[in-house]
Amino acid sequence: MSDFLYFFSFQDSSIAFVVMGITLLGIGSAFVGTFSFLDNKALLGDAISHAVFPGICLGFMLAGEKNPFYIVGGAFLSGALATFLSSWLKSNTKLSDDTIIAVILSVFFGIGIVFLTVIQKSGNPEMAGLNQFIFGNAIGIVERDLWVYGSLSVLIIGVIGFMLKEFQILVFNPEFGKAVGLPMNMIRFVFDVLLILSVVIGIQAIGVVLMAALLITPGTAARFWTDKLNILLGLASIFAILSGIFGTYISYLLPQMPTGPWVVVILSSIALISFLFAPKKGMVSRYFHRRSYVQKTQRDHVLKSIFKARELGQEGLTRAELLSLYPHQQKSIKNSIRSLEKEGLLFVNQSLIKLTDPGKYQAKRVVRLHRLWESYLNEYMNIAPDHVHESAEKLEHLLTPDLEAMLESRLNFPKLDPHQEQIPRDHDEL
Amino acid sequence: MIKQVENPILEIHDLTVSYDQSPVLWNVDLSLPAGKLIGILGPNGAGKSTLIKSVMGLVEPSSGYVKLFDQTLDEVRSRISYVPQRESVDWNFPASVLDVVLMGTYGKLGLFRRPGKKEKTLALDCLEKVGMTAFVHRQISELSGGQQQRVFIARALAQEADLYLMDEPFAGVDMNTEAAIFQLLQEMSAAGKTVVVVHHDIYSAVNYFDWFIMLNLHLVASGPKNEVVTEELLRKTYGGKLNLLSKVSELIRQKEFNPLKG
Repeated sequence: MSDFLYFFSFQDSSIAFVVMGITLLGIGSAFVGTFSFLDNKALLGDAISHAVFPGICLGFMLAGEKNPFYIVGGAFLSGALATFLSSWLKSNTKLSDDTIIAVILSVFFGIGIVFLTVIQKSGNPEMAGLNQFIFGNAIGIVERDLWVYGSLSVLIIGVIGFMLKEFQILVFNPEFGKAVGLPMNMIRFVFDVLLILSVVIGIQAIGVVLMAALLITPGTAARFWTDKLNILLGLASIFAILSGIFGTYISYLLPQMPTGPWVVVILSSIALISFLFAPKKGMVSRYFHRRSYVQKTQRDHVLKSIFKARELGQEGLTRAELLSLYPHQQKSIKNSIRSLEKEGLLFVNQSLIKLTDPGKYQAKRVVRLHRLWESYLNEYMNIAPDHVHESAEKLEHLLTPDLEAMLESRLNFPKLDPHQEQIPRDHDEL
Repeated sequence: MIKQVENPILEIHDLTVSYDQSPVLWNVDLSLPAGKLIGILGPNGAGKSTLIKSVMGLVEPSSGYVKLFDQTLDEVRSRISYVPQRESVDWNFPASVLDVVLMGTYGKLGLFRRPGKKEKTLALDCLEKVGMTAFVHRQISELSGGQQQRVFIARALAQEADLYLMDEPFAGVDMNTEAAIFQLLQEMSAAGKTVVVVHHDIYSAVNYFDWFIMLNLHLVASGPKNEVVTEELLRKTYGGKLNLLSKVSELIRQKEFNPLKG
């Protein structure tokens, strides 16, 4: 607990620096990553993040120490080479996108590991820190690193904010952008540079292997919550910052613990929560939505069965008669009867289940939609009367009052359906 | 039957276009008069979209050139508006109807400048013209096909151009929308705008357009309705590809290099 307070009160200026760095990094990578996720280029970020590794090792070899300028420079150049190679391969070969990405990723990372081994054999005492670039160590950030990574992050955030309109059209409809005269090739180039930079700024804190997660996951998770680009970018940033700070905290508590994997664990949890619980798009909300639709379907069926019994001259149906109509759904039909009774659409009189006035109104509507749809299928789509029931059974619950009005006017308010049964209207006596 | 005109608004000179190795348009040479409603007709794969894309500089021609208002595209870009095919974009992109229509003002805004109040008013006007005022803040993922098409047309209107090039604006729209769009095109043409529309349905085309371009990899006809809508020309347009032309295309494809590319 005291560790927690010590960390989050930021009384230690080096911790405050690291948290600030992680925050900037989170916003920068979430901004860039959200656009590349929307552009369906999630894998390119992964390829670039692996591809910067040989550049990092070369930078280290040249500098002989962990100099951030050499490391960032080397990482940027090898990321740029990978980006260039992937677009060159795309336009000059018939290889598919995923093949190109897989080749670039593994070749560059493989070369990087070869370099790392060479460095380890050289016995340079500084090389111990180089492993950190694979899985990241935010606590290892010193002030000099922070200036380099922090200012690059600010640059990325600034450019994205400044060119929001340009990147929006780059992702949504680049052809149109070109048609109205915007320099789309230049905008694409700027975006590619930002993508590489956003990988580069994360190598110390998150590491090359997992940097793609910090790029792509925040936008993916945020997409479940919103359809608005501004909110999407904001939410993605918040997710990235939260996971970044938490990952850093873990690295602070347990000095041997790399930051990257913990950031990924937190991000994945946020993504999982979004996937499950986001309103509208989340799994849980969709499950309840579907369940309530199924329940409405069953309630409609109960009302309809009693209505049909009345058409045949019966006052109502007994519970046993009603249940025998739906032999496979005994339990749910029982629930439907109970809830219909509670809503005042049914009442039980001398063991007969009967419709109340609102119940009749509702039942007539369902039967009317069913028979109107049957008539429509028969008349406009030339489907034989004995083939229309199945479709109407499903669509009677779905049709809106708007569509009902359209059906009525298209069919010219028919009295009978294709089976010569009466189509009940609100004012008809039952 | 190719009728050339004096002072054309659009002149296409000996245009040949190839994708990868296979030529998709052969030596198209035509000129179009101003202020007309012009339909581009032809079967699937006839090169209709390619023709207007090459006018907009979106595909690089192997040879030939295009002149608009007797100038090059870059000199008059602000006077030309383009409606791409509805399917060419991902409608799940997080944007509202207004956001998309505002893109029509991006050309005049240029780099870095954001749309302001003036652009917003213009966009709202354009949405009103296509009958989409009620959907201004709706997310584009929630629109029907016909509504998406109207949004694209509103975006084109926001470009305030003199020449409009539309790729299949009637594709996948319901009859009400089709009638509404057609009425709008007529109003634009009456106001002196030139509208060029790629269209696939010959039967409705005859009622819609007053000038026709008929394509089938090569230019079959270009001229006013009463001169080019004949059984013979329609048969040439829709009656299958020229056998020899297909054979030459195939030969070029097998060579793995394209002699037509300069």
